[in-house]
Amino acid sequence: MASTGSNSSVVTPETASTTRVDIVIGLTSHNDAATVGSVASALREGLTRHFAGDASRFVLADSGSTDDTPARARDSLKGIDGLVEVPAAPTTTDRLESPYHRIPGKARALRGILTTAQNLGARACVVIDAGIETVTPQWLQWLATPVLTHDFDLVAPFYRRHPYEGALTKGIVYPMFRALYGVRLRQPAAGEFACSSRLLDRLLEEDLWDRDGAQIGIDLWLASSAVSRDFRIGEAALGVRNQHAHGDEPLDLGTTLTQVVGSLFADVEKRVEQWQRVRGSVPVQQFGELSMGTPLQSVSIDHEKLIESFRLGYRELRDIWTWVLPPRTILDLRRLIDGPAAGFRLDDGLWARIIYDFALGYRLRALPREHVLRSLVPLYLAWFASFVLEVRDRGDNEVERRLDQLGAAFETQKPYLISKWRWPERLRT
Amino acid sequence: MKRQGHTGGAADALWYKRAVIYELPVKSFFDANADGIGDFPGLLEKLDYLEGLGVTCLWLLPFFPSPLRDDGYDIADYCNIHPAYGTLDDFKRVLDAAHERRLQVVIELVLNHTSDQHPWFRRARAAARGSVERDFYVWSDTDDRYRDARVIFLDSERSNWTWDSVAGAYYWHRFFHHQPDLNYDNPAVLQEILAVIDFWLELGVDGFRLDAVPYLVERDGTNCENLPDTHAVLKTIRRHIDERWPHRMLLAEANQFPADVRAYFAAGDECHMAYHFPLMPRIFMGLHLEDRHPIVEIMEQTPPIPDVCQWALFLRNHDELTLEMVTDEERDYMHLAYSVDPQARINLGIRRRLAPLMGNNRRRIELLNSLLFSFPGTPIVYYGDEIGMGDNIYLGDRNGVRTPMQWTNDRNARFSRTDPARLYSPVIMDPIYGYQGINVEAQERDGSSLLQWMKNLIGLRKLFPVLGVGTLRFLEPENQKVLAYLREHEHDAILCVANLSHNVQPVELDLAPFAGFVPIEVLGYTEFPIIGERPYFLTLGPYGFYWFELQRRDA
Repeated sequence: MASTGSNSSVVTPETASTTRVDIVIGLTSHNDAATVGSVASALREGLTRHFAGDASRFVLADSGSTDDTPARARDSLKGIDGLVEVPAAPTTTDRLESPYHRIPGKARALRGILTTAQNLGARACVVIDAGIETVTPQWLQWLATPVLTHDFDLVAPFYRRHPYEGALTKGIVYPMFRALYGVRLRQPAAGEFACSSRLLDRLLEEDLWDRDGAQIGIDLWLASSAVSRDFRIGEAALGVRNQHAHGDEPLDLGTTLTQVVGSLFADVEKRVEQWQRVRGSVPVQQFGELSMGTPLQSVSIDHEKLIESFRLGYRELRDIWTWVLPPRTILDLRRLIDGPAAGFRLDDGLWARIIYDFALGYRLRALPREHVLRSLVPLYLAWFASFVLEVRDRGDNEVERRLDQLGAAFETQKPYLISKWRWPERLRT
Repeated sequence: MKRQGHTGGAADALWYKRAVIYELPVKSFFDANADGIGDFPGLLEKLDYLEGLGVTCLWLLPFFPSPLRDDGYDIADYCNIHPAYGTLDDFKRVLDAAHERRLQVVIELVLNHTSDQHPWFRRARAAARGSVERDFYVWSDTDDRYRDARVIFLDSERSNWTWDSVAGAYYWHRFFHHQPDLNYDNPAVLQEILAVIDFWLELGVDGFRLDAVPYLVERDGTNCENLPDTHAVLKTIRRHIDERWPHRMLLAEANQFPADVRAYFAAGDECHMAYHFPLMPRIFMGLHLEDRHPIVEIMEQTPPIPDVCQWALFLRNHDELTLEMVTDEERDYMHLAYSVDPQARINLGIRRRLAPLMGNNRRRIELLNSLLFSFPGTPIVYYGDEIGMGDNIYLGDRNGVRTPMQWTNDRNARFSRTDPARLYSPVIMDPIYGYQGINVEAQERDGSSLLQWMKNLIGLRKLFPVLGVGTLRFLEPENQKVLAYLREHEHDAILCVANLSHNVQPVELDLAPFAGFVPIEVLGYTEFPIIGERPYFLTLGPYGFYWFELQRRDA
């Protein structure tokens, strides 16, 4: 989608391919007129400060904005080498489902950016969501430097979050990703990343772009693709990530969990030959400054409400859970129901086995997949309540240690998943 | 994910080394138009079943226009579909749908002979002696040429020559008299065959099973098998394909000893795969003797093959359990052990399916499949064996192992909605193997069924590429009832241990080279005690087997 506006520096992907560059900065956007200007400016400043000698090119993949996001981007990038705009308008199907990451047709947008980077011969490609309010020039430095200077292939962000924020990632995505793929990547489904030309070539060859669910799960799938092979993985501590509020109705927890965990389970199903051969896990090297930038917003959680939701779920969904969970787990859950709220604790090993059993139930279609995933919500709330009660008075480092313990428990329980996966006759034993 | 726009030829050049092949006759699989004969639209409906089973490649038995006097191996038109099975468009739909499911498709290429109803033969009979048309086949004024060539179908043919009154000459046939052999000394024959190959590869098929390849060329003073000129023909075919169609596969059917079959791989420039015929009867023999010797012996006689080549392994197929490649005494033993009823015998073999051969003993069936899936080669599953289908030895020829697939306990096993009298073959209805009890629907719902077990085993096979590409090394424990071997490739090692007897057996294995490794039992992912310098002790239940992944403790 070439610009027809007044800015003569806007080019198409085809004409852009004649000039080689070092860094491609890709912006994904959807109705981000309020922030795209500041994001572009911050990244432009980052280029000036940290990569002055490197040839660079901005690529905008706008997913059908109905505001003037593209025009604002062009304005902000006036005076530099051409902005490449790649076609990323969502299809009718994309529009039917609101993705948790809010960008319809995201896989197409990412593919467009990576393809352009490949055509330009970029040594590094950095992707940033144009709807983030807290982007600073350092983001570019911390994401791109490991690739350009230290031969890393994937640099994922590590955002500073309140202990209660990002709980789906903390409680399910991170520990399962770590246990299965053997890499302790804290936020593997983040929308921002930097990658090398080597990884970029590989990602574009992968058959994940047209898979069912790619528009939802692509962020996570790119990370799992990278860690499943011999690529160097790093993390960039970027401080706080605040998404601009668009005024849209936020997705309910059931839908968000279905999308996020469904993407994870779908990917696990595709990568059996890789994750069943992995033992243990390794930490990733971290760049950046965790405490930089905006302070954290305070978050308040009523753990009693969470526990009550779990109890209600137990009464309503126990019969469904028995299709997925073995009797011993059901009995363990009943003991939790009967216990006092103050001492409510969900054991890490039990939680890991619950998630693994749901992954198996998803794989074997013990019930329709959406039912399997939605019935996990009260169990997730139970884990979250337990987590809140444990970490409510702890500092960042203690919370991190607690999450490390959780990840280790998922590793310890991995043989449980493998044995049932290989011989699923034993699903409910 | 479904692949779009795929037109044949897998992305992986060595896909056949990692494949799990499923052999099926279209006529027996599923009948979509209720005429009593399976067809391509029926197969299309059942591709989801095959995908769910986990196989990665379909081998389709002959489906070409044919008078069907040899179950379709008597071809009357190489480039079309028998009308009973559908149309070329139906075939193409199956092919595309299979590729979307990542299933490769291999079809038959009968190089050696045609039907006597083929236009080439009709034309040859009437053509002038010495003409190109006449010389599409092998003619003689006498029936005493090539006397050293054996008659293969002893039960039905007395000679390899048959008189043709129209031609006024004898024509040569290594199989039935209605299947005249093509004459590869006539260059026009090879040109026609290459055109046939191009036709199917253009449509998108992924490979050919080359039927009866040892017999392509005849020479005086020889047994007319495995001749250098036959290999030259095959090399020409391979070269032709490689130059035009990447990643397609040729599978040789050469019912010979491994040392003779080895030549069909040449230097990796002839056939990609070939059946290991003698292994199969020796597995059955070893099981019945409760002694590993016959199995180890034949594998030790098996020469190494080029890295790009692969053995095709099977327990049973559409033919009889062939006993051509065993000694007379071994053949007698096999008949006494597995076909006391003479009705079960045909030619030199036994016309029975796997489950009846195993006395319907689930543990024996599982044990044999564990060998099939862990020996060096690509396993081939014969349709219906994944649910333990039975046979009917009273149906004549080998039709008893070609009965309709048993889908449900409904009429005709839900293979067809037609009147039972119209079925191309009666379904199996006996009390043990009848479709009322042995069917896909029941076994899909039974978590402990053979079908579920096979799905799991196929999944494991695919999980460990070393089983497809690794080397084989036998261990030599004192207990002869236990078969133990290592499959190794780069850093991967799988230890397989099988108890061939019906009693519990102890065994001590010399695993000293793996001291410090931990055996992880593959099926249940169970960690066993670490291997030390002393013999490693195991006990195995009746017909029990283990696959262990040997992991370094520090890994």
